[in-house]
Amino acid sequence: MQFDWTTFVLEVLNFLVLLWILKRFLYQPVLDVLDARQARVKAEMAQAEKLQNEAAALGQQYQERLAHWTQEREQLRQQLQQDLAQQRASGMEKIRQSLTDEEAKARVRNAATTASHEAELIRQAADEAYENVAAMLRRLASPTLTAGIVRLLVEDLAALPDEQQQALRTAAKKIATEAVDIASAHPLDDAAQQEIARGLAAAAGRRLALAIRPDPALIAGVRIAVGECLLHANLLDELAFFRRRDEQS
Amino acid sequence: MNAGELGGGVLFHLGPLAITDTVVTTWGVMLCLAGVALLLRYRLAPLPTRRQTIAEGIVVVIERAIGEVVPADAVRHVLPFIATLWLFVLTANLAGLIPGLHAPTRDLSATAALAALVFASTHWYGIRSKGLRAYLRHYAEPSPLLLPFHIISELTRTLALAIRLFGNIMSLEMAALLVLLIAGFLVPVPLLMLHVIEAVVQAYIFGILALIYIAGAIEPIATDESPAAPPTPTLAKSKNKEES
Repeated sequence: MQFDWTTFVLEVLNFLVLLWILKRFLYQPVLDVLDARQARVKAEMAQAEKLQNEAAALGQQYQERLAHWTQEREQLRQQLQQDLAQQRASGMEKIRQSLTDEEAKARVRNAATTASHEAELIRQAADEAYENVAAMLRRLASPTLTAGIVRLLVEDLAALPDEQQQALRTAAKKIATEAVDIASAHPLDDAAQQEIARGLAAAAGRRLALAIRPDPALIAGVRIAVGECLLHANLLDELAFFRRRDEQS
Repeated sequence: MNAGELGGGVLFHLGPLAITDTVVTTWGVMLCLAGVALLLRYRLAPLPTRRQTIAEGIVVVIERAIGEVVPADAVRHVLPFIATLWLFVLTANLAGLIPGLHAPTRDLSATAALAALVFASTHWYGIRSKGLRAYLRHYAEPSPLLLPFHIISELTRTLALAIRLFGNIMSLEMAALLVLLIAGFLVPVPLLMLHVIEAVVQAYIFGILALIYIAGAIEPIATDESPAAPPTPTLAKSKNKEES
């Protein structure tokens, strides 16, 4: 067992150097890394705790808002129900009013339809009556009746108002030498033709040539066309006249 | 077996200094530890690798072991010295397993140097913690009559520290050498396994004793002034180990 002072001193120095090296390059860096990691973990824990607190606060806030929203929803629902009831009542009133109006309109429409039907029935009745009358008049028509109507025509030509007489004369002037178209339901004898020629000459202010042709559709009587003037002296035109007058009334 | 095998054989002279194999082996151990430290230092990363995890684990274990004995605010001050003691003594003890090398701790000069460093560091940390006057005063407590016994205790425990480590490692190597000479080539293998265990145990004992001495020196003044107060369980446990 030897003791060497040189080895003793060198061992002391070696240990101190090793102590410095390890402290400088091992312990301190590793402890710094550990401290940094611990600080980071603490910071993250603090951050997590903070986030947890915030989450709890947000949860509380959410619950409060949810309760508030529930209350608000109930209020809005009640308000909506009131509005709906009011709108329902208003709508029912409008519908009731509309139905009343529609009923009145329908009543008016029905009255118009009924009146139209009645008018149509009256017209049909009148048409039927006129047709029956025309049928009956066709059976009663005869050359004698035509001659009587010619006489009445001549009397009427003699008593024409001034205005109609002037119009007849103007029409006669326009036709110049053309013949007057006379449609007759029955053949006219010479006396009747001469009587018509005298009556027209007196009314037109000059003698006119006559072109007589038969037209059984007139039933009885004649229809004289002097240019643009028509002289109706037959049962067919009379019936048509009466029918138009009834329809206009 | 000669005197050179008990002490350090001189390998060469560096001027007036005789460099023994103990010093050279110590330099080798220093190079290994410094190399590992430098390798780790420049590969430290926020996300640790496996090696960094092992290094961090070693440092954390040492820090916790120290924290169980000394006050929390003194742990970081004491850690470099105690950790270096543990790592150096362990590595030096295990160096004896390499064929052709002798453990530096089988040399009394080396263990005495380590014990002297523990002795000096104990007073250094005590004075730094309490102040010179308060630190010296605790040698005269509870009675000035105990001052010589305190001084003798300081010297003998330092001497015991050096002799214990030297004796254990030297006897291990000598026993292995004797078994090798008598029994044959592969027979000392179980003894080498015992060497590993003994190396670890002796390194731990040396470090923990140094830690207890330092902790005793830097105990808070309030504890010193109330001797009736029972010691903490951890400290009492550590002191029991020292007595064993």
